[in-house]
Amino acid sequence: MTDLLNYIGLGIMAVLNGPALFEIGGIGLPVALVMLAAGLFTGIAVGATPGLAGPMAMAISLPLLISAFGFTPDALLPVFAFLIGIMKGATLGGAVPAILFNLPGTPDAMMTTLDGHPMARNGQPRRALRIAQLSSVAGDSFSDIVLFVCAPFLAVVVESYLDLPEKTALLILSISFIAAVMGASVGKGLLSVGLGLIVAYIASGNDLTPRLTMGFDALDAGVPLIAAILGVLIVGEIFATLETLWRNNRALDVKTETHGTAQDGLAPGDLKRITPVVVRGALIGTVIGALPGVGSTLAATLSYSLGARRARRIAGAQPFGSGAPEGIAATEAANSAVSGANLIPVLSLGIPGNAAAVFLILAADSIGGFNPGPAVFAMPEGETNPQLVVAFGIFTLMAIGNLLNWTVGGAVMRSMSVLARVPATRLLPVVLLVSLTAIYVQETSMFAVWATLAFGVLGYGMRRLAVPVLPFVIAFILAGPLERSAREAFSATGADPWFLFSSPTSVILLLMAVAALIFLGRDG
Amino acid sequence: MRHPSFRLTPSRALGAVVLVLAVLALLVWVPNDTASGYVVSKRGRVSIGDAMAPALAFGLLALSGLLILWETRNFDAPGQSDRRGPALLAVMLGICAAALTVMIWAGPLAVALLNPDETYRNLRDAAPWKHIGFVVGGTGLVTGLITLVEHRYSWAALAIGLATVLVLIGAFDLAFDDLLLPPNGDQ
Amino acid sequence: MTHFFKPLLAAATLCATAITTPTATLADEWTPPGPITMYVGFAAGGGADTQARLIAQGLEEKFGWTVIPQQAPGNSGLNLAAELAKAPADGTAIGMVVSETLSYSSQAAGDPAFDYENFTSLATTAEFQLGLVAMANGNFDSWDKVMGAAEAGTPIRFAAASDRHADMAWHLGQQVGIDFNIVEVRGGKGVMDGLRGGDVDIGWVAGAQSGPVQQGEMVNIARGIESPLANSPDAPMITELGSDYLLDGYFMFIAPGDLDPAAREALGEAIRDVAEDSETDANGLLSKAFGGPAVRTGDDLDSYMTKANAEAAELIKAVSE
Repeated sequence: MTDLLNYIGLGIMAVLNGPALFEIGGIGLPVALVMLAAGLFTGIAVGATPGLAGPMAMAISLPLLISAFGFTPDALLPVFAFLIGIMKGATLGGAVPAILFNLPGTPDAMMTTLDGHPMARNGQPRRALRIAQLSSVAGDSFSDIVLFVCAPFLAVVVESYLDLPEKTALLILSISFIAAVMGASVGKGLLSVGLGLIVAYIASGNDLTPRLTMGFDALDAGVPLIAAILGVLIVGEIFATLETLWRNNRALDVKTETHGTAQDGLAPGDLKRITPVVVRGALIGTVIGALPGVGSTLAATLSYSLGARRARRIAGAQPFGSGAPEGIAATEAANSAVSGANLIPVLSLGIPGNAAAVFLILAADSIGGFNPGPAVFAMPEGETNPQLVVAFGIFTLMAIGNLLNWTVGGAVMRSMSVLARVPATRLLPVVLLVSLTAIYVQETSMFAVWATLAFGVLGYGMRRLAVPVLPFVIAFILAGPLERSAREAFSATGADPWFLFSSPTSVILLLMAVAALIFLGRDG
Repeated sequence: MRHPSFRLTPSRALGAVVLVLAVLALLVWVPNDTASGYVVSKRGRVSIGDAMAPALAFGLLALSGLLILWETRNFDAPGQSDRRGPALLAVMLGICAAALTVMIWAGPLAVALLNPDETYRNLRDAAPWKHIGFVVGGTGLVTGLITLVEHRYSWAALAIGLATVLVLIGAFDLAFDDLLLPPNGDQ
Repeated sequence: MTHFFKPLLAAATLCATAITTPTATLADEWTPPGPITMYVGFAAGGGADTQARLIAQGLEEKFGWTVIPQQAPGNSGLNLAAELAKAPADGTAIGMVVSETLSYSSQAAGDPAFDYENFTSLATTAEFQLGLVAMANGNFDSWDKVMGAAEAGTPIRFAAASDRHADMAWHLGQQVGIDFNIVEVRGGKGVMDGLRGGDVDIGWVAGAQSGPVQQGEMVNIARGIESPLANSPDAPMITELGSDYLLDGYFMFIAPGDLDPAAREALGEAIRDVAEDSETDANGLLSKAFGGPAVRTGDDLDSYMTKANAEAAELIKAVSE
């Protein structure tokens, strides 16, 4: 117990006592805190800009951050701080254009338009933004607390009870779960997973002659990780959105103006009205967020429709869709609560559940010195586990991020409303060049740039054929660990071909994987 | 009653293509492009070979193709018959490819014309040579795509492209000593 | 003109060079015709990568050259070798690998293009601090306990981070009559994570174990190199336990084949200058984490590579019998 408190203290100190970036009034400002605030404001701005989303900003800033802070363990906290800031800011910022212009800034903010925009049209944009901010931050904070408590616990359980065969089975379960729950059909989910695995298996084997390269020397080092991920996630999205814009000839830019009235701002009784809705939304979001791959859109939809059903039953309640504060609160609490809980499988098992988590893993992978997984939470005797210090540093950053969101988030949100006017037709080509340049700088090879475009075409095709893209990315990341743990388990058990069925735990995990595919997929 | 599965919808086509390609890969690609087979026996012991994981992944892919066909057996929404989407994608890719080609060759061309005593490789970290390709190609990429999507050329598009390129040069090249902008790391 | 856009850094470098290089060294007779690309055959961020980047920094500071580090990891350094083979042999392309790349790995890959004679060896920087590592106070924290467990019929999981390490684990097992379950993991870090999680029992680590060993978390139960380990001078040599071979090796810089001898000498001596100068950050890292600099150049290095290749051939033959 004292050990644990020690680590928590070390984590907090790692953030607060880190190297100072500059001094204000004789007090040094730790670089991690500055990066957190910068990331948060960037995130709110990105969320407020239609056509941009948090993951896109994380993807583009990652190479810059790594160049700026280098590959030392000291770089971990500042880089994570910025990325976590973006993650937290973007959830908040997404509500801005949703409320003011009826345009969801991020996909999760779709349901926020339903009540947020009517309220703004009724002359109360500030009230709507304020409710969105409070519910969003409340949901986020709750979910973070669950993360702080659950992740170490889960990791310790996994590490002490799971041997190599069970770890393999657990990876199989997560991948099949993701295939089953994402997208409208199990077949297409599995297709996405299969493609991700195959691309990851190019030139990644143990033999000194690389496999599946079809004789291309450029593939000898495998497909560049960042090219595949950014290609499918970002470039594919850019191509698809540019096509929509081209067809509609800038239809996305049509906006409904809203103006505030004298009685704008939080109304008396609002807090009391939204509290139960926020609590329910936070719970829904946290539970859903803890499962890899389910996502914030589902959490928001679920929370909103539950709230709407209750509002219909209660006499005199304001119906959802007419600018009800409860409607905004239900959505924002739920979609924000996803982000913290989503890090539970990331930190304790190394399994990413959404795009933001993918980029956190990518950052950890690129910098080194922090490998998300059970080893993070180990407490070796007589030695300080630097990874655990980083983990508690991350928790500290998340808590401070929430504090910033509570206090200044609202003001920043309001000031970003101008960004909703940036035309996506001009923004997306810029984002494309920035992404390609960032990829080049990290990989220093034109091949990586061409590969990114190729994966962009794949991502475009998947979107057009309704094949979900996130399972591709997650499978791509988990492919290596999956093959490695299977090889290790096979060797360690003395070449037992039935190693996956060697213990009840692993059999149960495998059965759950099959059950996920059969039962979760149908209504997706 | 006519059996509905006669209509070739995009999803059905996808399922069939995936199934065929996955089976082909399992039979031809994986066995011929892996060095150690499914299991290897070395150091007196059997271990998993390099072909195992790809084979299982292609098996999963084949399964997914079958599942897609199965899921669409009774009903599937017909796709849009619009071919403008793929055509636009081709044009966008064309712009990207042209811009990248210019990016790669503009610098060496400038050196060959203006500074024939040196090689571009030796000047790859020297201004202004190292910036020529990136400025021309990068500006072209942004301007070209904006022009395409907005259906008209505007000076604003050119200005946005140029501004992006300059900001990127500032962010990567001026701020960091060891980073090379495209295409200079391939020289 | 050349550094028009990097006035600060360039000016600082030039001033520093002008002031601090009064002694004429061999490197003065040869200067690179352009910026040097330094390929790094290790993942970004690890100890070996940091070492390479600090040497690059030292070369820039001491000699005023422009050195641009660039990652070329994977496939035991052979990806880097393939990249280097395509680069011009004028001293503007060098790469850091391990001696194993151009001995065991190139032979095991069976591609004659990777033969060490097709490359120019420039200089080594440090020798592996290779130990056979186990958790302290565990069931395998001495060689006697390993032997005892094997006699009692306990299966022993032996982690190895490369084919050569796996071959050596098997060879050692053959010599002492233990049938190890050899588990190939990723890197020395993978070995140590496996030890900590209880997934493996013992494993080879080539230097990354020094921290955990100093802190008493792990022990070196044997060593794979000739000279005693800095942290565990009492650990026996594996040849004393029965192995026919050592598991030694160096971090080293290589260049494309047929490099101009003047360039080879200048680059080799420049790397030696940086690695052995106690003022440089590179030297600090080498002393702290790699058991101190161990620089071999020229004919001395060539003779080591010849010997390493002969031993690798024997090991590969012994294992495949």
